[in-house]
Amino acid sequence: MGRLIFDAAALVAIVFAGLMVVGRNPVKSVLALVVSFFALAACYVMLLSPFVAAIQVIVYAGAILVLFLFVLMLLNVGPERPEKTGRPIQTGLGAVTILVFAGLLFGMLRGSAARVPAIPPTDPAALGDPAGLARLLFADYLLHFEAVSVLLLAALVGAFVLAKREDAP
Amino acid sequence: MIGHIPLADVLLVSGTLFCIGITGALLRRNAIQIFLSIELMMNAANLALLGYGAALGAPEGQIIVFFVIAIAAAEASVGLAIFVALFRHTETIDVNKINLLKW
Repeated sequence: MGRLIFDAAALVAIVFAGLMVVGRNPVKSVLALVVSFFALAACYVMLLSPFVAAIQVIVYAGAILVLFLFVLMLLNVGPERPEKTGRPIQTGLGAVTILVFAGLLFGMLRGSAARVPAIPPTDPAALGDPAGLARLLFADYLLHFEAVSVLLLAALVGAFVLAKREDAP
Repeated sequence: MIGHIPLADVLLVSGTLFCIGITGALLRRNAIQIFLSIELMMNAANLALLGYGAALGAPEGQIIVFFVIAIAAAEASVGLAIFVALFRHTETIDVNKINLLKW
């Protein structure tokens, strides 16, 4: 049952990711990616990580992609026009690059999956428990957490400086 | 195995999503769509991290994904601010038309 749900959610995620890449209209791309991220959140739940799934829906699908949509509407960018100058050599080389990369990646992942030791099944509730995660985050990874908070402050200042009008006082 | 899900399945989905993302980053000319493809690639990496974490019974995988999502939020805000500033200067975010540094 768990595997069936995972496979169905993964299929939805892959199909909508493909729609995101193929579509020329950026607004439709963002909406397709929202669906894909929701399906990925379902995958995360099946991988015993309900906390990360909640963050995925709230922060990623909720905040980040809505920010994308907001900027897209603000700039009022139309759909991409088909390219006039054909570049057959570059297109062919790009396709070969992607295929070689995909081959290497899948080979590496297959080898890696085979080498993961089989462990006795862990308690699913213990692995995804937010209290246990918080204990780990605020004890062992406290320095990293604080570093991320400084990074977010820097991003806030950077975004403000970049998006500010130059003639503004 | 995570429940009844083999780790190889999770990695297959993750690799497929990453390849879709890299195709989009190479194929599209709209800067925002390239950025969306990069977000998709980060999510593919997150899926692999959660898969390994669950297969090894290690909660550290979820902690790393937590940090990845926080950094993605910072990256999105700065990246979109760059696009807004770029659009103000050049009236386009088509990466083929932005060639100021080519001189």
